[in-house]
Amino acid sequence: MSDDSQVAPSFPPDSIKVVAESIGISSIGDDVAKEVAEEATFRLRLLVQDGMKYMHHGKRKRFSTCDFDNVLKMKNIEPLYGLQSVEHIPFRFASGGGRELHFLEDKELEINEMVTSQTPRLPLQMTLKPHWLAIDGVQPTIPENPPPITKDLQKKDSVDPAAKLTAQQDHKDQKHIHGRGMKSIETVKVKQLATHELSAEQQLYYKEITEACVGSDEPKRGEALHSLAFDPGLHQMVPRLCTFIAEGIRVNVVQKNLALLIYLMRMAKALLDNQTLYLEKYLHELVPSVMTCIVSRQLCMKPDMDNHWALRDFAARLISQICKNYNTTTNGLQTRITRVFSKCLNTERTPLSSVYGAVAGLSELGPEVTKVFVMPKLKALSDKIEQCMEGMNAYDKNAASHIKGLLLKTVAPVLKTLRNPPDTVNDYKAEYGYLGPQLQVAVVKARQAPPSTATTLTAPIRAITPTTTRIIQQGSMPGIGGIGSRTVVVNKPPTPGISSQQPGQKVIIMTSRPPTPSQSVSTETVGGVMKTAVVNTGAPCTTGLTTVTVNPGSLAAGSLSQATVAPQATTHQTTKYVVVSAPNQPSIKTEIKEEPDTPQPMDLT
Amino acid sequence: MAELGGPTYAPLTPANPTIINGLAAVDMQTGQHLPPQHQQVMSGGEHGLVSMVAATVMPPPAATPDQPSSGPTGAAPGAPALPQDAQANTVDRHTLVAVLQFLKNNGLKRTEDFLRQECNFFDIVDDEKQGLGGDTEVSSVLSAYKSEGDPAKYEDAYKALHSFIEKSLDPYKHEVAQVLYPVFVHMYLELVYNGHEEVAKNFLERLKGTQEEYYQEDIHRLSLVTNREHMSGYQIMDNFRSSQFTIRLSRDTYSHLKRFLTESGGGPVPRIIHDRLYLDVYEGVPRTKAQVMATAGAQEGEAPRQVNKAKIYYGLLKEPEIPNLAMEEEEGEEEGDKPKKKKPKKDALQKSKKNDPNAPPGNRIPLPELRDIDRMERAKAFRDTLKRVTLQKDTLPSICFYTFLNATGNITSVDISDDSSILAYGTSDSQIRVQSITPIKLRCMKSAEQLSDIDKEADDVLVRMMDERTAEPVRTLLGHAGPVYSVSMSPDRNLLLSAGEDGTIRLWSLQTWTCLVVYKGHIFPVWDVRFSPYGYYFASGGHDRTGRLWATDHHQPLRIFAGHFSDVDVVQFHPNSNYVATGSSDRSIRVWDCLNGNCVRVLTGHKDIVDALAFSPCGRFLASAGGDKRVLVWDMAHGHLIAEMASHTSTIYAIAFSRDCNILASGGMDNCVKLWDFSRVMEDNHEDDTNVANNPDVKRCNESLLLGTFPTKNTPVLAAHFTRRNVLLVAGPFDG
Repeated sequence: MSDDSQVAPSFPPDSIKVVAESIGISSIGDDVAKEVAEEATFRLRLLVQDGMKYMHHGKRKRFSTCDFDNVLKMKNIEPLYGLQSVEHIPFRFASGGGRELHFLEDKELEINEMVTSQTPRLPLQMTLKPHWLAIDGVQPTIPENPPPITKDLQKKDSVDPAAKLTAQQDHKDQKHIHGRGMKSIETVKVKQLATHELSAEQQLYYKEITEACVGSDEPKRGEALHSLAFDPGLHQMVPRLCTFIAEGIRVNVVQKNLALLIYLMRMAKALLDNQTLYLEKYLHELVPSVMTCIVSRQLCMKPDMDNHWALRDFAARLISQICKNYNTTTNGLQTRITRVFSKCLNTERTPLSSVYGAVAGLSELGPEVTKVFVMPKLKALSDKIEQCMEGMNAYDKNAASHIKGLLLKTVAPVLKTLRNPPDTVNDYKAEYGYLGPQLQVAVVKARQAPPSTATTLTAPIRAITPTTTRIIQQGSMPGIGGIGSRTVVVNKPPTPGISSQQPGQKVIIMTSRPPTPSQSVSTETVGGVMKTAVVNTGAPCTTGLTTVTVNPGSLAAGSLSQATVAPQATTHQTTKYVVVSAPNQPSIKTEIKEEPDTPQPMDLT
Repeated sequence: MAELGGPTYAPLTPANPTIINGLAAVDMQTGQHLPPQHQQVMSGGEHGLVSMVAATVMPPPAATPDQPSSGPTGAAPGAPALPQDAQANTVDRHTLVAVLQFLKNNGLKRTEDFLRQECNFFDIVDDEKQGLGGDTEVSSVLSAYKSEGDPAKYEDAYKALHSFIEKSLDPYKHEVAQVLYPVFVHMYLELVYNGHEEVAKNFLERLKGTQEEYYQEDIHRLSLVTNREHMSGYQIMDNFRSSQFTIRLSRDTYSHLKRFLTESGGGPVPRIIHDRLYLDVYEGVPRTKAQVMATAGAQEGEAPRQVNKAKIYYGLLKEPEIPNLAMEEEEGEEEGDKPKKKKPKKDALQKSKKNDPNAPPGNRIPLPELRDIDRMERAKAFRDTLKRVTLQKDTLPSICFYTFLNATGNITSVDISDDSSILAYGTSDSQIRVQSITPIKLRCMKSAEQLSDIDKEADDVLVRMMDERTAEPVRTLLGHAGPVYSVSMSPDRNLLLSAGEDGTIRLWSLQTWTCLVVYKGHIFPVWDVRFSPYGYYFASGGHDRTGRLWATDHHQPLRIFAGHFSDVDVVQFHPNSNYVATGSSDRSIRVWDCLNGNCVRVLTGHKDIVDALAFSPCGRFLASAGGDKRVLVWDMAHGHLIAEMASHTSTIYAIAFSRDCNILASGGMDNCVKLWDFSRVMEDNHEDDTNVANNPDVKRCNESLLLGTFPTKNTPVLAAHFTRRNVLLVAGPFDG
């Protein structure tokens, strides 16, 4: 039996001895044990083999105890009572005294407990639900049907675009081998490079959804967002929707339209929530947009009145969700986002609203990030807040109190784990200045709270090494950037830009690899939001398109908006400036300029 | 009549499941063995005899050929069309003794007396043999394995055979290679029987790699048998020792093999091939590898050619005249827009049925007479047929999926009524639930007193009979004592059959919602039950390795189809109700004639259990599918395998033909529905219609015939059904 033990496990003679002991036969010879063990193994396997038939006819893939009972019944053996279970019954393992035992846990149940305890909920009634799996041979993309392209496939596609080519090649080869002698009239399906032909229905859907999302009808918006969050089969429209969001943010940040910004962020959230989508390819559009909503200097017309803080919080949660879902060692997403935030904190003259955003963003990334990036700045922040609180500016005061509230909320749990009690006010005051006493109170409160609320410090964090920041910035103003990234968010006052743009224009900068696909940008204005559909005939949006949303908070609408880019300085690239007219200009002007990959006004080290 | 009682539990003494090939069920419960004579009858594969036994074992109602259905149905006479007297005369004494002894063994005293009277046979059956019964039978079969051969020689001999096959010329190679597996198995068994356990184990371990992939599972099962005691009562063993493995060889290949055997002298190989293999030699060119592989895989080897020689009337029965009433109604509805266009269509539909030379005579099998309600149903069906969408490659059907929610691992069977109005399903917790899938709710019949008040002459008497207050969308039928493995609805939707683990088949009324009859014939679990397309008859198959044909008004089977070597997992009626196809765990499909119980086709080629069978609506083709993830299409006319469709990735549980025969739909555990272009299969088949002598090339198609794949969200497909207008309905439980 030992030979095929890998194929099919067998009863060891030891087990037989144990069983014999348990029924009072103490001395059992090795030969006997072996003989009985073999016989028992054979019989058991026989039973399991026949039990498979019950499993098969029960249309299951898993063998259950009922199957075994049934087969015992069939073989005219008394079934084992009390082992009915729909679920897997695990074996427990114990060892000691040189013996190893596997046993079934059979706890004694207190009958009183059973009687007095709440009756378990009844299982749900079986129901029958019809839906169309196909209509005239076409599978509709409704929630009941699986998405046409699974998330895994999308992921594979975005992680390794070359796989598709090789698969196609394999397929072709196979065809070649098998197709011998057969009438092979099939055409080889070459995947079209331009994948973004939307059907009329999809175009309609896009129109309806975008209008609903930014329109004024709240119930309709709810439906639209629900559709975005749950409908399968949106993957074909995702590039357009992402562009819509990115463009919308760009325009509305300039116009300081808080409501629309919130709507767009909710849209982004819905897309991120959709389980059937893999958005990695489109992060270059989403991340700058979301970051803009976190750290922009000004997001609304009346910063002292409107609650733009909520938008910043919401966007911060969104960015942490993106990090959680899409951060890999290859794209270093979290590293880059973290760097943007910390840069913001490290700069002296960052506006308070941006500081708030940076703190919110960092704290959403987890306590570990907070520990590393917020704690060291606590004192400085504290001073700043104090300064503002004592100042006369009502706006600053308001902002400072918000920052204070946020810091107290997010830092206290971290401090609790960092510092040992006792927490004295003076220590805190010495260390954290103005905020000290309040922090102390918060920490003490946190310590008294039940331990379950304690924040664990296990959130993953990537080691962030302070590398040379290739921040693109002009002038001496603080900026936020990402290293070697395709996406940059710059937050700074206007300085003369790249070239001679006309006022009222916006710039989309695209870089693409040498075989330059022709790109066209079409825009239409819907509800104050400019929709831009970038028809990209190359591999869609992978490395090709770099969008920079710049949001110089201080820029007035219609003035020159300014962008800077750090294209990947590796290969020959062509940078295109697509100059699109701003929404307030009725005529649509599009011009595409191509330039060789010449150093941009940036620091490429 | 079978007063065998329920299972009696004898703790820790496994029952002795000595399954004799064929009629195994009956003797298993008592744990006794059949007398040797009987076993000869059973294992001889002479189905004529088997059916005679079946007929003899039949109860009085079946034995007396009178009106099988009394009452309003008023069926044609002679449902069990075997004239008992004529049979009895031809039964030789030997068989009779065997039958009598069998009856006596099982304590079927009344039947025994009855049979004696019928045959005027009053000799005393020799009891001596019976005393020895069990032991002698087993040992005599097993002792054939006794040999004095040196165990070490076996491996060398096998290797010699293997290298001979390897070195054979390509034309012969693949045909000769078929002997490897049976020789291998018998060598192993001989080694085990003669007590060379270690040698046997090594032999198996070292050489199992030389066998084909699809035999590995069986070899694994075989590897459990490691000593002589295990050899009796083990299913796969029983098959091997009691039957000859059939192999088809061309004349040239045969002589090639013969030369090798004579040259190699003695030894185990020639002896095994001589004793244990049945070489079916045919004239003609040796087959190619693909051809050999296509039909290999069954437990009994290949089907011998002569078994598939019998003529099958695969045509459809002539449709009775559709009542004029219905036609008028039809024309009234349509306002007579295009009367010209419709007429030829109707004629075409009827003409094809009239002139079919392959159709059986209408009275070959007595069928229930049409009632008014049936006529109305036909008329309705015909009207639907006129509105049917013709499916083609470019016009694929719409698919409606019925998903069972909150039923993970619980749904064991699903059936959809022919007119697609009711869906019935059985669950593993013994329930049967019937659900209306149209807005019309399910009503219960009024009580007897209330019924007597109804004016019987009223036009809407059928509506009045039902109690409006009881209308419900779902109804539950309780009665089984184990998982319900099959449900089937009668064509008129008044009756429902169910079968389950408890070994019973139950007939339910869908008007009173009660159980009408419990058919206790199978003793072991019944895996499948199916109504005939004309009602009245039904077929069942189960773990006892038999298929059975029943009529609703007989509590005992009319025919027992014995011949499969393992469980009968699926049964299906031919559209003309004259034939029943059974699919089995022995990986073969058999087609049986309902008239005489003969096996008229043995179809081998599946490499795993057969789970689904479907006849094409035209009656000519049979599609089968199962555990080997392929759909095979067979031509009923000659029993040839004509197409193989492989694209599924898991067990297939459901196949269905579209009503116009152009599309085949399949679905299974891999959570998707696939559509296949069946019209192309038919086209290509008609071309080589003349080539009857040899197996035609099997159309091996993975992609070219596949028209579409429609995946579900983790919902396996358990049933597929085309409505009369060619919408595909599929059902399955969502697997959380």
